[in-house]
Amino acid sequence: MSQPEASAGRSEAGKPAAQRVGVYLLQAAGSASDGLDLQRVAEIAAHLPGVCAVRTLRPSGALHPEQLASELLRDELDAVVLAAEHPGFYQDAFARALALTGHDGEQVRLAPFGEGRDGLCVERANALIAAAVQGIPFAPAAGPPASSPASFCAATLVIGGGVAGIQASLEIAASGNKVYLVERTGTIGGRMAMFDKTFPTLDCAACILTPKMVAAGQNPNIEILVLSEVEQVTGSAGAFKVKVLKHASRVDANACVACGDCARFCPVTVPSEFDMGIATRKGIFIPFPQAVPNTYMIDPEDCLWVQSEGKKCGACAKKCITDAIHLDARDEAIELEVGNIIVATGYDTLDARRIERYGYGTYPNVLTSLEFERLTNASGPTDGKIVMKTLRQNKKTKADEWVFEPDGPQPKAVAIVHCAGSRDRNYNSYCSRVCCMYSLKFAHLVREKLPEAECFEYYIDMRAFGKGYEEFCERIREEGVSLVRGRPASVTECGPRLNVHGENVATGRLMDQAVDMVVLSVSMQPSAGAAELAEKLGIPLDADGWFEELDYNSEPDSTGRDGIYIAGVCQGPKDIPDTVAQASAAAAGVLRSIIGSGKQ
Amino acid sequence: MAVRANPNLIDELEHYGARDASKCYQCGDCSATCRLSGDASVFPRKAMHYLQLGLEKPLRSTLDPWLCYYCGDCSERCPRGAEPGETMMGLRRWLTAQYDFTGISRFLYRSWASELAAILMLALVTGAGFLGFGYILGGGNLSVYDGAGAFLPAHDVHIFDWTMGITLALILSINCLRMWRFTMRGEQAAPVSPSQYVRHLQLLPLHFFTQKRFRDCENKRPWATHLVLMLSYLTMLVLIMFFLKEMQSGPKVNWYVHSFGYLASIGLVTVTILDLRGRVKKDEAYHRHSHESDWMFLILLLYVATTGIVQHVLHRAGLPMAANITYVAHLMGVVPMLLLEVPFSKWSHMAYRPLAMYFAALQQAAGKGS
Repeated sequence: MSQPEASAGRSEAGKPAAQRVGVYLLQAAGSASDGLDLQRVAEIAAHLPGVCAVRTLRPSGALHPEQLASELLRDELDAVVLAAEHPGFYQDAFARALALTGHDGEQVRLAPFGEGRDGLCVERANALIAAAVQGIPFAPAAGPPASSPASFCAATLVIGGGVAGIQASLEIAASGNKVYLVERTGTIGGRMAMFDKTFPTLDCAACILTPKMVAAGQNPNIEILVLSEVEQVTGSAGAFKVKVLKHASRVDANACVACGDCARFCPVTVPSEFDMGIATRKGIFIPFPQAVPNTYMIDPEDCLWVQSEGKKCGACAKKCITDAIHLDARDEAIELEVGNIIVATGYDTLDARRIERYGYGTYPNVLTSLEFERLTNASGPTDGKIVMKTLRQNKKTKADEWVFEPDGPQPKAVAIVHCAGSRDRNYNSYCSRVCCMYSLKFAHLVREKLPEAECFEYYIDMRAFGKGYEEFCERIREEGVSLVRGRPASVTECGPRLNVHGENVATGRLMDQAVDMVVLSVSMQPSAGAAELAEKLGIPLDADGWFEELDYNSEPDSTGRDGIYIAGVCQGPKDIPDTVAQASAAAAGVLRSIIGSGKQ
Repeated sequence: MAVRANPNLIDELEHYGARDASKCYQCGDCSATCRLSGDASVFPRKAMHYLQLGLEKPLRSTLDPWLCYYCGDCSERCPRGAEPGETMMGLRRWLTAQYDFTGISRFLYRSWASELAAILMLALVTGAGFLGFGYILGGGNLSVYDGAGAFLPAHDVHIFDWTMGITLALILSINCLRMWRFTMRGEQAAPVSPSQYVRHLQLLPLHFFTQKRFRDCENKRPWATHLVLMLSYLTMLVLIMFFLKEMQSGPKVNWYVHSFGYLASIGLVTVTILDLRGRVKKDEAYHRHSHESDWMFLILLLYVATTGIVQHVLHRAGLPMAANITYVAHLMGVVPMLLLEVPFSKWSHMAYRPLAMYFAALQQAAGKGS
């Protein structure tokens, strides 16, 4: 027993010489460090005290921890210094590799010689490496301000137009600085625009969000780029060059008066993305009535004219009174110059079909939480009435399909299943954090709108983590909702109803509850494309795929790369107040750098 | 009523193979997934909970682990990787050690080196003993296998078999009595009248011979292989205890007796090889974790079955000396296997499992009556 204690004592006394440190020089293809004499850097690094190995890698894409681990084992390394222009992206792979070799994954230190403002030079790179080898913090952003302030660009790119992106944009624009707000879908608003109420105050979500959306839309400092995606990012903090692909909406935003004639004549009907597929939209559409920008757009995937290359249809363009529709419009590549970037790409939900035992996709009245949000939303397909699906024949395809209709039958009992895909190593092992509270909100809405209906909440642990949340939970309990501790094992069909089977952990008995509707509080996960974006930006993701913050406690909105910030759920599951707070924090970081540059 | 908690219980169970029970967060998914878990007894979550709390006494008096046949569905589904199925398996080993009054079981389960040493020592003693017996009191001629003047006369081996059988049965009976005391006379147990004991008695042979409860699991294959193994083993036991003379006679094949032996041999070898293969490949949840005692049990069983077949073949092939040497080698496996496994380890569940089904039915009947 005395051996480990003695060695722990030694390391506390500060003798890093006992560590075997390896220096990895990473050079991504086409990066600016092409101009740097890496061989010279490697030679100097090899002579640093404590350095046991120096390796140069030219990775294309992600690195494989297993492969790295075998290299680390061969060199018997227990600490690694990653020297690169922007090494943060590779940190996770090395941390995992170190952990695989049985060492502390924390012992990956970064020497980001691409950051700071003195350009690339051998001396600076080696100073950074030497500091990292000794484990001495050497903040790249510290030191004198930009050597050439003239090159600093005060404009900011915000990726993602949800509540986080809107909040950050408004904060930065309010100080008189330019913001490009890039959004993949046809409107800003994000997930929050889909919600009916917020917890625990039961405020109307739209009443909070839509004024912000309109403010962002009208602010002359904010340029909203919808249907747009970031293609490429080059440069460094203060002077990023960003290529954005702007998909053609095929409707001239300045000419469109949103009269809706085009949609009336459009023959194409498809499931609405905004309504999570429980309602339909036309091929030419506005995502929802309060969309910003409030302009019609065409989805080329569905448009008959686009798919037939101009041979068929074209009804919308013929009917448009202002000639706003240009069906042959092309996608556009835009180049932006910005000094800072805020990533706010939010989340997707787990595909509930993967949890086969809950029968989503098989039983019509098993819904996901976002579907229920749209169902209970006054602007949803049933005007906010909570009803079950009815079987109706599709006039075109003659096939029977289950649809929501405002006069559909009301459920007599609703089950809400927490942790559907969360806290489960078979799906996502993390807690999605907001599900407990929004599930309680759902229960409240069921009890409010259908006082006769029973409502069951099946939970593992009730995570009422925020201000007023515990009180909210108590309130819902008093409203007559059955809070059942126990996670259902299955949902099966039982005549016309659904049977929820599980163990009631409080009583230790098995339970079978007949209900008419099951709502699955599905897990949050990083939105599609987050990993590609991380690679383009050169910032790290954590093991679950969320963007990794620079420091969990003190810099939750900064990334491993100077000038790039993260806000909202893209950093990890969080509720609306935390998302908004983090967005404001990220905006503060951006403004700090703008003010520091002397541009304002 | 004060309840005594043993905070080291969960660590103690690690020696018996239940390594992940502390990961359980009590969602109840396992109990609801299990097809054998019912209103009479809802498991395995409750046992996981007792284990986390260190409630040794309620755990000792529970029948739940014996009601589980380990299909592995719960472990597959478990959101935490807490391996409820393997926990039940570990608890069965732990309970076997609890029931055993000699303490040998605990000793064997906790240290694989001790178990291995015990097997080897018993094998050596057996080998030396039978060789000595053969030369001094037996036929004395290693090249005579059967009939008058046989090296190991069937009659003498028979007496040895019965002596050992009765001893083992006695030890196992005492352990069964302890099981009854823990489970049926504990604080939680409902009182059961003697007439009820008689009324449900048919459950014992029913569960023993059919293992019908196992068939309720979704995957039927484990039930089939388990039943084949048990019936093969039982057939062999009957043949050896009652027909040893016929078994050892030859070299002509006595089809009335030997055909049973052939069937049982095929069953034993096939199932042990399948099981070993499964444990190596870890393709099913119930094969993912193997306690050292599982390996020793399977290897010993395969060894015994193979040497049994080989001695029979050598005898028919007219090689009595080789047959006799294999016979001794065979006994060097049989004696340690029976001495260690029947009262103290894996084979004891042949008694505990049907008893548990019987006791559980009695408890349910008594609980309903009150």
